[in-house]
Amino acid sequence: MKKVSIDPITRLEGHGKIEIFVNDAGEVANVYFQVPELRGFERFCVGRPVEELARITPRICGVCPEAHHMAATKAIDAVFGVEVAPAGRLLRELLYNAFYVTDHTTHFYILAGPDFIMGPQSDPAARNILGVVGKVGLETAGAMINLRAEAAELISMIGGKQIHPVCGLPGGVSQAITAEQRDRAVEITTGMVEFAKFTLQLFDDVVLKNNDYVDLIKSDAFNHATYNMGMVDADNKVNFYDGQIRITGQDGSELEKFDGKDYLDHIAEHVEPYSYLVYPYLKSVGWKGFVDGKDSGVYRASPLSRLNAADGMATPLAQQEYERYFSTLGGRPVNATLATHWARLVELLYAAERAHELATDPEIINPDVRNIPTGIVGEGVGVVEAPRGTLYHHYKTDDKGMVTNVNLIVGTTNNNAAISMSLKKAAEGLIKGGTEIGEGTLNMIEMAFRAYDPCFGCATHTLPGDMPLEVTVKSESTREIVTSVKRNM
Amino acid sequence: MTSTLVLGMGNPILSDDGVGLLVAEKLRGTSLPNDVEVLQSEVAGLRLLELVRGFTRVIIIDALKSPADSAREPGEIVRYEASDFKGGQRYGSAHSIGLGTVLELGDRLGYEMPRDVVVYAIEAVDVETFGEQLSAPVAAAAERVIALIRADLEADAA
Repeated sequence: MKKVSIDPITRLEGHGKIEIFVNDAGEVANVYFQVPELRGFERFCVGRPVEELARITPRICGVCPEAHHMAATKAIDAVFGVEVAPAGRLLRELLYNAFYVTDHTTHFYILAGPDFIMGPQSDPAARNILGVVGKVGLETAGAMINLRAEAAELISMIGGKQIHPVCGLPGGVSQAITAEQRDRAVEITTGMVEFAKFTLQLFDDVVLKNNDYVDLIKSDAFNHATYNMGMVDADNKVNFYDGQIRITGQDGSELEKFDGKDYLDHIAEHVEPYSYLVYPYLKSVGWKGFVDGKDSGVYRASPLSRLNAADGMATPLAQQEYERYFSTLGGRPVNATLATHWARLVELLYAAERAHELATDPEIINPDVRNIPTGIVGEGVGVVEAPRGTLYHHYKTDDKGMVTNVNLIVGTTNNNAAISMSLKKAAEGLIKGGTEIGEGTLNMIEMAFRAYDPCFGCATHTLPGDMPLEVTVKSESTREIVTSVKRNM
Repeated sequence: MTSTLVLGMGNPILSDDGVGLLVAEKLRGTSLPNDVEVLQSEVAGLRLLELVRGFTRVIIIDALKSPADSAREPGEIVRYEASDFKGGQRYGSAHSIGLGTVLELGDRLGYEMPRDVVVYAIEAVDVETFGEQLSAPVAAAAERVIALIRADLEADAA
């Protein structure tokens, strides 16, 4: 058996790894997806005041600190048993949707854009943000950079700091915004809605008007009929900040709906000896291995699954896009992994519209932004939809609020089993006995991986420079490298 | 008109990964030439573009973890220049675009991008265990890097 590794190295060590084992006939035997282990998180947290977790957990990872801050803050509300002041809640949700706008935008232009705008088999030297800029033009790139800067301004206006917000306190947020700040928030969110509309138009022109891409999205190699998880409001519409967790099945119907605090009754974890990262699955269905279908408890938690798990979007333009998305792709649920990119842009439009709604809510400048806790419950669960999937924070404390136990399920972990399955299926579809395994092929396998926007939790930065990628084909019997491709190394 | 950004990067709760942030914090507490600004950043990618634009010179401090078979010793200081980051343009995985790409993207967008970029990378012992302490060799290297940067800044001023 030969081994093909797709080995993205972020800091030369401590990197995610994709290993493809190929048998003597040249066909895919198995695929493993591994992520590096960060050690000692629970020990680091135990014994600290629980309020600190809202500032510590965002530092697990530099990719979505706002999501950790929000989940932590909600868990801390529950630990102290305090109701959140209405204006505090509005400000949290405004910050959170502004974060979604910047995160989803970055994903589309930096991560997904190169594959679609440049082409999945194009020269890797041009398949990057610089190639995208060359193709979409400087004006669009400048608008994207400007949008990020304005979103950062709005996030720090509410959050107190850019990158790592510090505003979330049990019962609300630390400070109100003024009428002048609100006016600026309205201005910024108006621009966000325009930018989201523009980005969907770009996706339409570049991807949907290209039959090859539509065929690729719909192809069996990139399809899985898993369960879908997503947070919904009282009307079963997508919500990122608060609501119940809804699970829908292969026929689109609801399997179950639960409060975040009851997650342990609904989600169990499977362990494999080769990976430290667990494989969550639906308890009521059970673990049947890395397979899809209604008898397997594997689920996805991603933009794709959130749209599948909801009956619609709560804002008008996003609702139109939601309807167009499902009618184009053949109805709910959509199981095509690569459609995640379109789903993400539907969410981008929702996040922008929702941010605008919140900014124009008269209550947003109400100075009563916090209720002071008066007691302590000693246990709490906080759940939000992070861009990469449902994020659960579960804390226990002693009667003084000192942490005794911490459990997190992060976005990428939810999707661990599905990512492994998607990689295997893509590899099986693209690698056939006797065919040359070129860079373009491996890139298309990686596309199955990138659609989930996986986050290794440690990828706070990259040194030196861009991510090197090593692909090796090894003979299993001799362990010798048969062939290897290196990029940026 | 020249201006210098000293940028400490890293993660303050992943052991040796905090070294860049510590160096920046210590430098900030000392007297520096007027045209020098000291910042800390816990994230890279496009955020770097927003941080470095407008400066003529940037000095970055970060932890480095070389492959196990490299000959580098813990605490060893490696000095990179901007040219060391050219060529690599692949985004590869989530949200990582590197320094070379950031500099080139900024150029294309017509921003004032630094012409002089130096990275002091310190070989780490451990960047995967949660903790706020640096290992002894990395803590010692932090002091040496501070001296190197001060020398750079003073040579500039002279």
